[in-house]
Amino acid sequence: MKTRLPEHGPVETPRFWRTLDERIETPEAQRAAQDEFLPGAVPGPFDDVHGLPPQSGFSRRDFLGLVSATAALAATVACDRKGQGTVVPYTRRPVEIVPGVANYYASAFQEGRRVYPVLVKTREGRPIHITGNDEHPGVKGKTSPRAMADVLRLYDPDRLRAPKAEGRTVGWAEAESRLHGALVAAKAAGRPVLLISGAVASPTRKALLADLKAALPALEHLAFEPAAGDAAEEAAQASFGQSVDLQPRLAKAKVILSLGADFLNGEDPEALGAWGAKRRLKNAKDEINRLWVLEGPLTLTGTNADVRVPVSPSRLGAMAYALAKELAAKGVAVPAGTDLSSISAGVPAELGETSKLWSNLVKDLHRAGRNAVVLCGAQMPVEAHQAAHLLNAMLGSEAISGRAAEPLATVRDLDAAVQGMAAGRYAAAIFWDVNPAFAFPRASAWKEAVAKVPFRAWIGLMEDETAAQCQVLLPENHWLESWGDFTTGSAEVLQQPTIGTLYDTRHGEEVLLGVIRALGGHAPASYHAYLQGRWQKSLPLGTSFEQALHDGLVKIESKAALPAFRGASVAAAARRAAGSKAEGLELVLFPGFATHDGRHANNSWLQETPDPITKMTWDNPVSVSVQDAKALGIQEGDFVTLSLEGATLRLPAILQPGQAKGVLALALGYGRSTGGVAKGVGANAYPLMGLDPASANVRPGARLAKAGGKKDLSRTQSHHRMEGRDIVRSLTMDEFAHNPQGHHHKPELVSLYEDQTFPDHKWGMVIDLAACVGCSACVVACQSENNVPVVGPEQVARGREMHWIRIDRYYEGELENPKVVHQPMLCQHCDSAPCENVCPVNATSHSPDGLNQMAYNRCVGTRYCGNNCPYKVRRFNFLEYTAYKTEPETLVNNPEVTVRPRGVMEKCSFCVQRINDVKIRAKGEARAILDGEITTACMAGCPSDAIVFGDLKDPKSKVAQLVAASRAYRVLEELGAKPAITYLADLKNPPPNGASSEGGPHAS
Amino acid sequence: MHRFDQAFRFVLPAAAVAVLATILSVGWFTQPDRFAKGYAPEQPIPFSHELHAGTLRMPCQYCHSGADKSRHAGIPSVDLCMGCHKVTRADRPAIQKLARIANSGAPLPWQRVHTLPDHVFFDHRPHVNAGIACQNCHGEVQTMKVVTRDMGMRMGNCLACHRDPHAALPADSKITKGAEHCAACHR
Repeated sequence: MKTRLPEHGPVETPRFWRTLDERIETPEAQRAAQDEFLPGAVPGPFDDVHGLPPQSGFSRRDFLGLVSATAALAATVACDRKGQGTVVPYTRRPVEIVPGVANYYASAFQEGRRVYPVLVKTREGRPIHITGNDEHPGVKGKTSPRAMADVLRLYDPDRLRAPKAEGRTVGWAEAESRLHGALVAAKAAGRPVLLISGAVASPTRKALLADLKAALPALEHLAFEPAAGDAAEEAAQASFGQSVDLQPRLAKAKVILSLGADFLNGEDPEALGAWGAKRRLKNAKDEINRLWVLEGPLTLTGTNADVRVPVSPSRLGAMAYALAKELAAKGVAVPAGTDLSSISAGVPAELGETSKLWSNLVKDLHRAGRNAVVLCGAQMPVEAHQAAHLLNAMLGSEAISGRAAEPLATVRDLDAAVQGMAAGRYAAAIFWDVNPAFAFPRASAWKEAVAKVPFRAWIGLMEDETAAQCQVLLPENHWLESWGDFTTGSAEVLQQPTIGTLYDTRHGEEVLLGVIRALGGHAPASYHAYLQGRWQKSLPLGTSFEQALHDGLVKIESKAALPAFRGASVAAAARRAAGSKAEGLELVLFPGFATHDGRHANNSWLQETPDPITKMTWDNPVSVSVQDAKALGIQEGDFVTLSLEGATLRLPAILQPGQAKGVLALALGYGRSTGGVAKGVGANAYPLMGLDPASANVRPGARLAKAGGKKDLSRTQSHHRMEGRDIVRSLTMDEFAHNPQGHHHKPELVSLYEDQTFPDHKWGMVIDLAACVGCSACVVACQSENNVPVVGPEQVARGREMHWIRIDRYYEGELENPKVVHQPMLCQHCDSAPCENVCPVNATSHSPDGLNQMAYNRCVGTRYCGNNCPYKVRRFNFLEYTAYKTEPETLVNNPEVTVRPRGVMEKCSFCVQRINDVKIRAKGEARAILDGEITTACMAGCPSDAIVFGDLKDPKSKVAQLVAASRAYRVLEELGAKPAITYLADLKNPPPNGASSEGGPHAS
Repeated sequence: MHRFDQAFRFVLPAAAVAVLATILSVGWFTQPDRFAKGYAPEQPIPFSHELHAGTLRMPCQYCHSGADKSRHAGIPSVDLCMGCHKVTRADRPAIQKLARIANSGAPLPWQRVHTLPDHVFFDHRPHVNAGIACQNCHGEVQTMKVVTRDMGMRMGNCLACHRDPHAALPADSKITKGAEHCAACHR
């Protein structure tokens, strides 16, 4: 409606005013009051008609006319046959590639000192999925979640694609001439050159560094791994006089004592495999191990403990030495030169009245003897490590092995280098695949010092905080584009490229080979030649390099024995342990599950994989114990300030049941300032790390205060109780022996629907909760196999994460030290699926082999199915998560699985693409499908073999036999959905006499 | 003129014509394979299946070798063509063009004739291994100078055969039905 006012007449004072101008009646406001439409809102051509000031523009009629013309044209075009696209064959087809058939190559992935022999699945020459190398005697086809997710980094659009000098892109010739010039000048001047790299686990890389040292004698090399735990390095030097890489051999362990060691966190597939083998019990008479855990923060290992005691990490050393004293009192021989006199015997004060627990622990360790092992967490203080070494030596443990390893630089060594740089000691510095500008605790001191080095070069994958401080940036190949080799305990492992270089990048080693040549040494141009030359000389007789490459490894005799323990080191460490008191709040800094030391922070798969304990994604809140939070008045999600020795962080807090009172826990590797994904995610905790390697990661004296404000946490599970239902079941060994089904009775079910018939197969799955540790390897494996999109923190906070398999974690019992059970939850492929009945368009239906199918092209997105699913495993694409993606990001997709668009429901398909492939191959070969031939991605990725998939109609199949096990149950069976997934109840093995501190027996 | 007379003489026939036209046009628009049949795009190399598969009787899988080992039958790589054409008919302009491509390693983009939507995962293997002749879906390729689409790859066509595959299968085949569940092709 339009009210015209006289052209120049007075404007009545409006009763309601919108702006001060209007109220005061400025001339502009008067004019504005006359014009109904704001300038520009009126179409031009109609000006004369309405007598309005002429304006240029585009009328609504014109617009609608054009739209309809466009639509008509589009409709015409759509009727044409064109646009079928082209099909481009290989011009020269590589002999090993058949388009549409995957090839597998053995390779290896390194993370710190740990090496993962892997099998890389490639399609048409591009790597798309990573599993463990099944030829390797240790890992047996399993690997870590981060190794699986690292295929995403290959296609990371943030990768540096060409060398840079002073911020501009240059060719390799110029970049290298700058590097060589600086190093030749440094050599001529006789000034030292600093090289900081990651851990050296490769024999050929070690030889290369020796060659480089020979060509450049003033080279100072530091192997810096900020997440490796400096205390472990210090303790190994003290106890064994050398750097040692300790590996648990859990197959031999009957009793395991963990001093804050998180050996079940998914990083060590070998340990998880051995753990699973000891836990997948068929009947109660089978041998089971017992895990005692003394720890501060709740770790995955702690959640799997048979007995867990929350204690401050600073007290672990003292408790472990007290154990040694007790064992010595029981007549266990101590290593020569060991002086235990300063240690006071008796129950540590922390355990209070639960002295029964202490005597049980001592008894357990003593009885198990060589089959007992004490493991200490890398981040724990040095005395705890030394005590663990002593205990293992006393017990003569066979369940731990140690290999001499290349020493790692501790934070003290790095601090010395910083001081050297600040003093102008170095003529040049090279940073190779490390990010000390981010990870060194005193970032400002680092920045000042590094600026005093005249020439700084950086070799790496993605520009990071350190790259920003360097003049010459040399882009490195991703490991999937590189050659390499590693030593693991049982095999020499080869790493081979599975794709040509995507960009103008080189091996980091080739840059160094170039340096050797520039300095007058002899070296081949390619690292491949250098590596092959070394291997040809050292290969065992009868093995060809090609064979080793095919297998990915050459097996070696493993020397399992630990180096001799130095008894003389005990007295000092015991004194330190006795003097170590828990003061104020004690902060534990540990490597992030997703980020590790920060190197994986740009990996969105990992960022969105929920932390196995806190279920947090995309953030590193500080975990506060329930007691402390109550005392400080902190609630979940509250912003807090965490301060320690001048460093202050503002970050959200979460309450962590089971965390020891007085302990704070914070993950490292977040708060990066570079990287499209990593930037701004979480807070950088490195400034809180100490410069004393003996206790760099365990810091007493932290202060915590409410900072005001609350954060909407991106958590995938905020409800942790089962509300009286038996979603997970947990049995003690005693219950397992006598009454595995407890009070449960098979419910009598009446169905309105006819039973499904399965003529040939009925696919089903069994998940053993006793073997599942909750490491989330299955989640990442599924994400990679099934093109599961990443949605980002805001969407996760709204409960819109897309994972097809999740791990539910339930707490039971008291908040201070609850019992924890992990349960992988995925589509249950119910026979009478509640989702199928409610779909108005029949987009989800049942297949004759027992799959609950999802036809994306039929789905119209009503979400009735998700609403009706009792397991809440259906995922809806609320937004378009993938269509905007371009190369290189799209290259990681599995071409066998549809990339789902917005508005479509999706869920676990039991990896139907793998089922169909095996079915078709078996049919072509005119044979039956073998049991175990079909592996779902989660099953193949599960390091503890908790997941078994197979044909329930085949009575001989492993899965059919497990379904009949006494521990078997189905989740929410009383609803009558008849799920195809059977769970086996979790097992806990507390010592007899009920000394478990884990609360009462489970509700069931 | 009487009003009824007018209605009978003009309105009724016009209405009948309109109804008929609607039925015919809707029918024409929705007829199966309306656009599918007869699609024969010009290819970068005027390759004749009539000559290779017909006259020379080369088996289909000599070139489309993926059909029994992969989901995709595949288009032969240029170097496979050059296996013969290094020598054979090397004087023809099209072969010279092929040779140039083979030598330079440049891609050779053929126009796609048969296509499926992204959400369909057709697999050649079970069909070839069951003894179904290529011609059942691709038409009498051995008679085509230019490959022409004979049948649309519509779900109706798939299911018709899956429900009654006898015509397509060899006489001694034991197969009576093909898969009809969603996940056989959609995943």
